[in-house]
Amino acid sequence: MKNNIIILGGGQAGIYAAREIRQNDSKSNIKILGEENLLPYERPPLSKDFLLDKKKEEDLYFYSSDVLKNENIEFENISINKVDFENKKLFAKNDNVYSYDSLLISTGSENKKLTLDNNLKNDIYYLRNLEEAKKIKEIVSNKNKITIIGGGFIGLEIASSLSQLQKKVIVIEIGNQLMGRIIPKQIADLVQNTHIEHGNEIILNKQIEKITKKNGDYGILLNDNSLIETDFIIAGIGSTPTVKLFENTNLKLDNGIVTNQFCETSIKDVYAAGDVSNFYHPFYERNMRLESYQHAQNHGICAGKNIAGVKTEYSSIPWMWSDQFNLNLQLTGICDEYDEIIERGNDINNGVIYFFLKNNKIRGACGVGIIGKVGRDIRITSKLTEKDNIVDKQILSDQNLKLNKLIQK
Amino acid sequence: MSEENWIEVGSTDSIEEEDLIRFDHQDKTFCVYKLTDGFYATDGICTHEAVHLEDGLVMDDEIECPMHQGIFNIKSGEAISPPACEDLKTYLVKVDNDKIFIKID
Repeated sequence: MKNNIIILGGGQAGIYAAREIRQNDSKSNIKILGEENLLPYERPPLSKDFLLDKKKEEDLYFYSSDVLKNENIEFENISINKVDFENKKLFAKNDNVYSYDSLLISTGSENKKLTLDNNLKNDIYYLRNLEEAKKIKEIVSNKNKITIIGGGFIGLEIASSLSQLQKKVIVIEIGNQLMGRIIPKQIADLVQNTHIEHGNEIILNKQIEKITKKNGDYGILLNDNSLIETDFIIAGIGSTPTVKLFENTNLKLDNGIVTNQFCETSIKDVYAAGDVSNFYHPFYERNMRLESYQHAQNHGICAGKNIAGVKTEYSSIPWMWSDQFNLNLQLTGICDEYDEIIERGNDINNGVIYFFLKNNKIRGACGVGIIGKVGRDIRITSKLTEKDNIVDKQILSDQNLKLNKLIQK
Repeated sequence: MSEENWIEVGSTDSIEEEDLIRFDHQDKTFCVYKLTDGFYATDGICTHEAVHLEDGLVMDDEIECPMHQGIFNIKSGEAISPPACEDLKTYLVKVDNDKIFIKID
């Protein structure tokens, strides 16, 4: 049967869903509605290789327009401002109306903004999309002392890139460690040391009282009355799911769009995937919302299968990475539900991993090392986590013993 | 096929099954794999970002990059899972008197 399938949101989850639907359904109309006038592109390089000029805009696109054309997937740059779930219609700002039989919402997430009480809102930069990355790249070429507000992944990746561009970088973080939302302190401290070794200044436990502007430069007053003088400010203070469009509808929202393990929302024929979805994870037996490359891809694919009628449960063990300087940090599973921590390795050159166990089974792990050094073990850990077996702690803690011995058992 | 392009990598027992070793020759670097049905070789550096695949995970016929989990088929070099999208170059391998050789262009 031929259906109209609309994918609202032209990011990674959307494009992977579209291609997966097409693999399973050659007849239906598939249309992606994207707010950016760009085909879906990779975001991870924006804060790293794009700023460093190692990757150009044309390197970022997941697929060319030819691929979409060959697979008969339409992409339209349009902004939707109203949804009528009852009559299965989307309304655009330009009065276009789109009818759907199945709808996938993959609107992603958006930056939290600093609350400022003066007219400096346009002076603070954020980095989420290509346009913002281009602006930052252009402006920083003429700046020397740059302050990053927020010591999370995005802020630290930008800090690493700007340091490599010979800029003086200051990072201000409100919490008592970097990347505190999901990264264990042991790993965060190792990353912090690397930033300091490269000349970046890290300020923890400080709130911003006020930002002022004078002669084109800025003063950032902290709650201990210290003043940071800087000539450019970038903020990365977290994100929120992009759900404004659905706030006055019947769609169930709670930190994003609530979905089950099949990417189904509370409304029939409406699915959600990627950053915007607060989904039920059957392995961890709880809902979670993830913002990562692997999740956007795999959740999109899973939604695509379900929309095409191939009932598929989403139970991927979460995995994400961050690259800063010559370090590669990786996280798998969840690291906030544990009764035991096991350390593997103690030298960042060979990689250091912390495993988080509950009832003698791995729930998650986080590691950091010189590029390439923790990836294999973290990948094996994802598989061990999924197997849900009681693990040999001796092997976990001894870097001389290969972890793949555990997986072959 | 000229003989001088076959370069000795090492002995066949230098690689465990379902594993790989790194092999450097002049200014090039390679990965040489032992799979259940024999030996294979590819370029050493991931086509996605410059990281060596020597620390990657070998599973069945696939090598997974340790940095971003791009996956390549070891036998064909095909990039089969993003972020890798460009194929990995593969090389002919032969075994002679328990020694592994790869053919470099």
